[in-house]
Amino acid sequence: MKYHPIPQPDEIEVRVREDAMGAYLMMFATAALGLPLPILNLVAAIVYYYVNRDKGKFVQFHMLQSLYSQIPVTLLNSGLVAWTIVNFVRDFNFTSIYWGYLIMTGVAGLVYLIFSIVGAVKARKGLFYYFIFFGKIAYHQVYRIRPEQTGSTPSNQPPGL
Amino acid sequence: MQQSILRDLGILLGIFGLIWLGASLFSFYPEDPQLLSIEREQKLGDAYVDLVLLNPMFQELENEKIDSSIQVIGDRLSGGLNQSEFDYRFIVFDSEMINAFTLPGGNILISTGLIGFSESPEELAAVIAHEMGHVEERHVVARLIKELGIEILTSGDPYVLGEVTGMLTSTRFDRKQEEEADLFACHLLEDSNIEPRTLATVFRRLEQETGNELLEHFEIISTHPNFRSRIRDVLSYLPEDDFTVEPFTMDWEEIKSGL
Ligand SMILES: [Zn+2]
Repeated sequence: MKYHPIPQPDEIEVRVREDAMGAYLMMFATAALGLPLPILNLVAAIVYYYVNRDKGKFVQFHMLQSLYSQIPVTLLNSGLVAWTIVNFVRDFNFTSIYWGYLIMTGVAGLVYLIFSIVGAVKARKGLFYYFIFFGKIAYHQVYRIRPEQTGSTPSNQPPGL
Repeated sequence: MQQSILRDLGILLGIFGLIWLGASLFSFYPEDPQLLSIEREQKLGDAYVDLVLLNPMFQELENEKIDSSIQVIGDRLSGGLNQSEFDYRFIVFDSEMINAFTLPGGNILISTGLIGFSESPEELAAVIAHEMGHVEERHVVARLIKELGIEILTSGDPYVLGEVTGMLTSTRFDRKQEEEADLFACHLLEDSNIEPRTLATVFRRLEQETGNELLEHFEIISTHPNFRSRIRDVLSYLPEDDFTVEPFTMDWEEIKSGL
């Protein structure tokens, strides 16, 4: 599989760097809003992506990395909210598996937060920063050279006589 | 490329899976009955029993005929247990309250009022089997650790012990614990050759007594007003095909007349 070359820091304009940094900072702006409803964060990230989609591959990479890494965190948080409500409504049966999940979700959120801050700082400096797993997916999706589409133009053929 | 992405995913899932597992197993969880070993629970239970029986409301009944019939019922149920780490002790106390409760360590206290209320030894056995469910599932200890914490529960201080004892006689369980105890009772009754659905009969009769002050402290109705769903659950319990009923041979009315 072939990839487009990635730009060096001196090739990236300040405006582009700031848009890339915004992809991470976006989360902090919506984090407070999204606390009771974690899905709101994700919606904001998706909107940000569509608004800035045409600002180049560097911005796209950082937006996708931020967006993708947010999905599991959002799912974990949503699961926690749902599980907590169920426990409150039903029988207050907060099992150790629940507490374990709560701690794991907290750790995931913290790790996500730290990586997002580092990501924002690096993006501002015009640097790439690859999160484990999500960085590779984002890079693959943005910088992959897509094969030329063939057979897309229709051509006329005579009937077989 | 693909391999390295999959490896990353594996690492992530592994790390967070381990965090979940590790945090779940780690016994910071304050309700975990495992915090108290069964040997310790038995020892504590003996101390609690002595204290409870000092209370004039829970005077131990001295009536050989009743004691021996309770023993017959208890032995039948203990024999139905596959294996148990508890030494069961069934104590009858003199009280018009319709009541039965469980102290730590497999000590089950039964009121004379409950014996009078039971229309057959099977009905009493159904209630006792439910209490044994709370013992085997360690609900009593879990409840106490949740409400008081392990330090207070195991405190050697006589005053604290006395207070805990007071609470033990009115322990309430939550719906899930009640359902677990009911299900346990059904299995145990079946394994003891007693019709498991007798428990539903007891529930129905208790429901008809709603409002009766004598029932005030009976833990089995903790989930009131959820009786109907518990009756439904018990009635839908299906014994195995080879299940046979072995009725108690004692003359129940005669025994009750000695109360
Ligand atoms: Zn119960």
